[in-house]
Amino acid sequence: MGIGTEDETAFAFDGSWREFAPIALTNTLLTFATLGFYRFWATTRERHYLWGKTRFIDDSLEWTGKGIELFWGFLAASVLFGVPLLVLSFILQGLMLQNQTVIASVIIGVLYVWLFYMGGVAIFRGLRYRLSRSYWHGIHGGCDEGGWHFGWKYLWKTVASYLCMMLLLPWSMTALWKDRWEAMSFGPHHFKSDPQWSGLMGKYVLAYLSPFIAMFGAIILAVMLAIPAGIMGAMSEGGDPPAAVIGVIIFGVLAFYLIMPLLALVFYSAYMREVVGTLSLSDLEFNFAATTKDWIKLFLGNFALWVLAGLVAAVPIGIFGLMDQFVKVDPAQSGFLSNPVTYIGFIIALAVPFGIVGPFVRYRNWGFFIRHMEATGEVNLTTLTQSSTREIKQGEGLLDAFDMGAM
Amino acid sequence: MTRIWHFDGASGIRHQPELVPEADGFRLVSEGGGGELHRWSDLVSTGDKNGSATFGHKQRRGWRIGFEGGIPPELQAMLPKPAKYGRVIDRIGLWPAAGAFAAISAAALFVAVRVPDWLAPLVPESVEQRIGDAMVGDFGGRVCNGPGGQEALNALVRRVEPDPKGLKVRVVNVNMVNAVALPGGNIFVFRGLLQEAKSPDELAGVIGHEIGHVRNRDVMQALLRQMGLSVLLGGMDGNVAGGMNSLLASTYSREAEAKADQYSIRAMQNARVSPLDTAGFFARLAEMERKLQGDGKGSGLLGYLSSHPMSAAREKAFRTSAVRGDPHTPAITAQQWRALVDNCRNDPDVEDEEGLLF
Repeated sequence: MGIGTEDETAFAFDGSWREFAPIALTNTLLTFATLGFYRFWATTRERHYLWGKTRFIDDSLEWTGKGIELFWGFLAASVLFGVPLLVLSFILQGLMLQNQTVIASVIIGVLYVWLFYMGGVAIFRGLRYRLSRSYWHGIHGGCDEGGWHFGWKYLWKTVASYLCMMLLLPWSMTALWKDRWEAMSFGPHHFKSDPQWSGLMGKYVLAYLSPFIAMFGAIILAVMLAIPAGIMGAMSEGGDPPAAVIGVIIFGVLAFYLIMPLLALVFYSAYMREVVGTLSLSDLEFNFAATTKDWIKLFLGNFALWVLAGLVAAVPIGIFGLMDQFVKVDPAQSGFLSNPVTYIGFIIALAVPFGIVGPFVRYRNWGFFIRHMEATGEVNLTTLTQSSTREIKQGEGLLDAFDMGAM
Repeated sequence: MTRIWHFDGASGIRHQPELVPEADGFRLVSEGGGGELHRWSDLVSTGDKNGSATFGHKQRRGWRIGFEGGIPPELQAMLPKPAKYGRVIDRIGLWPAAGAFAAISAAALFVAVRVPDWLAPLVPESVEQRIGDAMVGDFGGRVCNGPGGQEALNALVRRVEPDPKGLKVRVVNVNMVNAVALPGGNIFVFRGLLQEAKSPDELAGVIGHEIGHVRNRDVMQALLRQMGLSVLLGGMDGNVAGGMNSLLASTYSREAEAKADQYSIRAMQNARVSPLDTAGFFARLAEMERKLQGDGKGSGLLGYLSSHPMSAAREKAFRTSAVRGDPHTPAITAQQWRALVDNCRNDPDVEDEEGLLF
């Protein structure tokens, strides 16, 4: 089966937020009612919708993961990590109180290395789980490795790039992308990817140097403004506060909140184009077309949603004077903490709008991702036979435990 | 006979067989001939795909059939219903389920808050002792041992607690206006509190309060509660859990604080130590609180404020407990008091507070 003409893209997302809203709202309701335990099933319902609305060539994707898989994964990760970490934190507290700082530091060091390693394993296993539950034409993806080997690569490559003052980050990011994707397959075919990091270095160095450039710029600006200001000051004793200071502060704020994230985004969008652009599966070649401008629009839109949630939260907090309880704590009166109703009211006022906005941000992210995905080449449905990778039972428990993003 | 689309799960080819129902199942028949018999009970709903209801096969991964033009009425009864929220919720309905879950959650939270109260007294003292020693030890060499200091402190403890079994009250070289009770009967009085205190009676009230925590097994309860809540709220991610956790832990500790105050007041009455100086201490703290509120900033040095109830209310409790005409004597002699206040300054070997990582 060939892939269409130039204006017809292989990937399309035709979800609508009106269809998605009932899913998101009932998910939020049930998640709150269960103290968060429904979120595994909520994630599953969300993905079932998003995958189902994603068309590749002639057929939509299908998400076959189950809430219970994510739940078991979470339980396993909690037992394997939560319990030892809880015990260890008590031991560490004791060691520090007894001045055994050397032993405590060694334990913390080993712990960090181990957590870093497990973070790599988690990324790998999360990807593996998602591929194994994604179906197209009745065929799914997967992987036969457990990610333990990838964990080491993740550890040493990331540490190596950090050791070179983080200058080798593009190398470690692209190398690790290749490492994990080439271990994955869909149907009988293995993914291939060979991203080059040299082309990303220019943009990376710019983003990397931006704090220094900003600092340098601030100094130049300060000098440029300070000299005339100094002359003026000398002429009229006790003038206004130096304009230089204000100028530098404005410049610093702009640099910090706009220019630096912007340059980081320039690098990241180039990275995504490079890694996805070199990804292929049999005769299919993938491409990711999002430019920096597209990413900015995505982030601004998401940001606006969060702001909206904040504004919605502010209404009940303002009306019921919940905030006053925080600001005015009269020592003679019973304190804020002794009034759990206000406290819980405050938490609910915040949690509800933010809990509702969360799914819509994920919806936007998924739509963005699919709309900018492209593929060229050919799919031979006769040779696209079922994946022979071994069946995995539990979900993204590790990834969940390490709180890593979904995309 | 119904025309459907079909993936067999073996290859990606889309088949267009006809579904031929039989007595206890169906066959998928294409031009090539009849297929095997499938039972209706093998089917599971896989939801809806662009308007066509789809079904999978329990034993075969990737096997799918879909009814493009909708399910024919005669097949409706045979086919499984699509799942929406999850099996349990679909059976009882969304709102009843949400209500039931909310009730269970509230009950679980209540139990998690209360269970430590029931469990803590069951933990043997010896176990708590061992936990305490492992956690605390000698506070990293920061326990002050100036001449006569510990003796004076012991005398003061014996005064308010004639049977100080299982108590280890010590002064540590940390400049905070605070005193803490830790597992295993370990009570630490910080140097800052000694410097702030105007009289031994004042200190006796504060130490009596911490002894109250030890005797009420509050420390073990707090430890158990923290562990229980972090397990229960592990299901919820992010700040909501953190906020709830500290809320539940702290509201309860206020109740325990009030009880510890009552314990202290009773101990002072029995020992004939005046509660008025302790009341004065809280009056000064209340004054500081008011100032801090005015400044709009808290202070790390006044740890006592953040971990204890409102000082003004406590001042009142101590002040009103004084009975006019009761004969009072100072908790310890002036000489002992001097040795206690200078306990850290007179100990050249004590570690300073630098490097205290908590």
